[in-house]
Amino acid sequence: MKQAVILAAGEGQRLRPFTATKPKVMLTIAGKPILQYVVESLARRGIRNIVLVVGYRRQQIFDSVGSGEELGVEITYVTQEKQLGTAHALAQAKAKVDKEFLVLPGDNLIDADTIACLESLTPDAMLVKRVDNPLRYGVVTLAESAVKDITEKPKEAASNIVNTGIYAFTRKIFDFIESELDIPDVLNKMIAQGHQVRARETDSTWLDVAYPWDILSLNSIVLPRIPASLGGIIETGASLKGLVSVGKDTVIRSNCYISGPVVIGTGCEIGPNACILPATSIGNNVVISPFTEIKNSVIGNDVSLGPGCFIQDSVIDRGSIIEGQFTAFSRQAEVKIDDEHHSVSVGAMLGEDCQIGSGVVAQSGVVVGNHSQIQALKIISGRLPDRSLVI
Amino acid sequence: MCGIIGYIGSRQAQPILLNCLGRLEYRGYDSCGIAVSEHGINVCKDAIRVEALKKTMPRLNGTAGIGHTRWATHGAPSLINAHPHLDCSGKIAVVHNGIITNYQKLRDQLTGEGHQFVSETDTEVIPHLIEKYYHGNLETAVAAALNDIEGSYAIIVLATDEPKLVAARKDSPIIISLGDRENFIASDVPAILDYSNRVVYLEDGDIGVITTDSIKVSRRGSEVATKVHQISWTVEDAQKAGYEHFMLKEIHEQPKVIRDTLAGWVSGEALEDLATMWADDINALLILACGTSYHAALIGKQMGQELLKIPVRAELASEFNYSTQLLDRTLAIAITQSGETADTLKAMKKLKEVGCQTLAITNVVGSTASRIADRTLYTRAGPEISVAATKSFTAQLMVLYQLMMAHPEIGARKLNSMTKELRQLPNKVQQVLDNEGETAQYAQELSRYENIFYIGRGINFPVALEGALKLKEISYIHGEGYAAGELKHGPFALLGSDTPVIALLAPDDTYEPMLTNIKEVKARGSAIIALTREGDEDIEKIADKVLTVPQVEAIFSPVVNTVALQLLAYYAARERDCPIDFPRNLAKSVTVE
Repeated sequence: MKQAVILAAGEGQRLRPFTATKPKVMLTIAGKPILQYVVESLARRGIRNIVLVVGYRRQQIFDSVGSGEELGVEITYVTQEKQLGTAHALAQAKAKVDKEFLVLPGDNLIDADTIACLESLTPDAMLVKRVDNPLRYGVVTLAESAVKDITEKPKEAASNIVNTGIYAFTRKIFDFIESELDIPDVLNKMIAQGHQVRARETDSTWLDVAYPWDILSLNSIVLPRIPASLGGIIETGASLKGLVSVGKDTVIRSNCYISGPVVIGTGCEIGPNACILPATSIGNNVVISPFTEIKNSVIGNDVSLGPGCFIQDSVIDRGSIIEGQFTAFSRQAEVKIDDEHHSVSVGAMLGEDCQIGSGVVAQSGVVVGNHSQIQALKIISGRLPDRSLVI
Repeated sequence: MCGIIGYIGSRQAQPILLNCLGRLEYRGYDSCGIAVSEHGINVCKDAIRVEALKKTMPRLNGTAGIGHTRWATHGAPSLINAHPHLDCSGKIAVVHNGIITNYQKLRDQLTGEGHQFVSETDTEVIPHLIEKYYHGNLETAVAAALNDIEGSYAIIVLATDEPKLVAARKDSPIIISLGDRENFIASDVPAILDYSNRVVYLEDGDIGVITTDSIKVSRRGSEVATKVHQISWTVEDAQKAGYEHFMLKEIHEQPKVIRDTLAGWVSGEALEDLATMWADDINALLILACGTSYHAALIGKQMGQELLKIPVRAELASEFNYSTQLLDRTLAIAITQSGETADTLKAMKKLKEVGCQTLAITNVVGSTASRIADRTLYTRAGPEISVAATKSFTAQLMVLYQLMMAHPEIGARKLNSMTKELRQLPNKVQQVLDNEGETAQYAQELSRYENIFYIGRGINFPVALEGALKLKEISYIHGEGYAAGELKHGPFALLGSDTPVIALLAPDDTYEPMLTNIKEVKARGSAIIALTREGDEDIEKIADKVLTVPQVEAIFSPVVNTVALQLLAYYAARERDCPIDFPRNLAKSVTVE
């Protein structure tokens, strides 16, 4: 197999506020967008001809992976103007694909080993995986190594084997895409008409980001794989332990204590006397003021954190300006996403370009919409929509 | 102004020359051609774009050749006038970028001596002169020919009898690039980045000779040691990466350009370095530039006067060259993206002669401007392919902000608050880009008009000029930038329902007078589109449409406002199906006066 189609057009509604201005595939995990991990895994398997189906906020993808040259691949773009479904997305790539090709979701974390599992199979084929919570996926019924049926998000699961969304197809698939919008529907139709779709189970990494807090779990899984590297300036008295990667032009001032796995981007100013604990990723051009402690969190580009903040199990998106003494600690909390209630252990989820005054306390599980402004000394909880003003 | 390329090595020259010419098209593209040598010189050229030539031309065998993409100065674009040009015998071929001022005299003289001319170009005198002086050594013949020539040139010469290429320059850019068993000569670095990133720059008056495995540079008859520069760009930097046009790609690169410019700022290294630009006795600034860079200069003037409280002049280099008034104790800053803008270079030389300290702000490492100036500050924009400048302008503003902020008079308090603002700029610009959809809708409506005014005051007056220039050059809509207070002194006569006015507002002391000006315009029946910060409620009552940008301090408002206007111009041009990256009659760097 020499070619892969990556589906990267989707928005990821459940991941709001983080997907208001970027597609789901551009969520940053350990300093890189998820999509980049997929591309890198393909490159590692020698698959360098990549068709990217883009749609929602596609400019961000162009800006990030570009022509693919930097990642050692050749990327061709096709556009899905309306995000109608995965089969519809794949159909947009029809003119660009070879006889045989892989199809992968761009918003899942996929290892090179995972891709290798599929390569040995003759198309048409799909990769499946056993998971603990099959109800949010497409549950697959197998007969030997052939697929019998795929049921999307069933009320009751017949098995805990689910569809990974990673397929190997021949061009024949296009003959079956008619009114069907999603690939599992197309496959069910193929099977019903007597075509065989093979399946192989993988135990290698395949992780999905469905909810905002999944960013944190993926981050903690990926961070230990990032090798330590030191760019920029580390002042005397700063202590760096474990796997710590510091970007160029970043300054780590005296008496900072950084315990890996931690990734820090370029052009940042950290400390003095800041404490960054595992597993934390920090973007580019970020300021972290003295006496601030950050633990198991993801901080986006251009963020500024004032002195004396405490931040745990939190995601802070691009460009937010946070004054001193901000607190976001993590407890078990009920978070509501699309009328579903989830009980998770999480700190604060802060959208982009928020302005948070001094001494604000974020209750566990708070989700703050983009461009929100919170005045000093407020206690915030629950879900605040975009452009909220708390005074 | 034109782009030239030469190749000699072990591979077939034709595909390499054509590929390099494609990358040079931003310098001019009304005609192109190549010459390849193998038992004689074969030439193929026409008044078409490189892509078209690729499709129509026959295969030419040979491992040495030269190529040219042209922007007409002497003689209309035509097959005959396209380069390369040959001598009478057809054994010497020349490509040339520049203007030969005494070509008429030389042509008459050579015709008198029996030489046959076929084209109307100034260039054709060069192969005939070389033919005249050729006695078995190409390099000596080229040197002798150049002795007779007045004007500017970068040339590459190919001759059947010698397996080498000879290059020379005076006031036009040229580089030599080193490959593995092959070598290149080109107008600029991006042309050859597909093949090599090791580059040698030629100085004015140098003659370079390359063969498959050697390079030699002579200055005034004696060989000089060459210094090889490693180029850190990748070819990817020069590609479109998913975008329909280079211009949109480059607009989208601006948050990164700002972040890159800020690098080194926190550690204090950049600040210390910049502080050394300010000598104790400097009591005035003179900023020189052309085109878009001139608008950066005008903004620099406002910055300098407000932050440093010293007199600042911003001058068009092309006009400054005809003024006689010069100043002492003045720091002269020349802004040129390419570092090759002829008018700006001339002004710099003139200022240096009278003893002015000169500082160049340019995007091209090793460019002529950087070699003339006493000091150079490089903008971190990366190669800019779109003819309409976008990211290089923003990068120029960033350098100007930092230069002003490094002045010892600025004070720690001001420096701190400005640094904080500066760090937020990449995100603010990203937000302008994220609002692209709305901007595109406004542009769609604007594209129906033939005349549009842009008005602003104070630091946003130059932004109005820049917004109008972007619109003109890519959408061919007549955009006119004007100081808002000046409209009533004439241009009012042009206002009416078919001429919308784009008004730029900033949260400074120009805000109130702008509101007055906007009301005046509205009374004349023109639709008002206001570009202002988020949460500006006063303007909503007056303007017909409001396009918002994120809130920033007034001094940084030119950055976010310009990006919004770039998008507006881009989408207006797209709506009108204009060839956005290669507008008619324009070329990227203007190396003629």
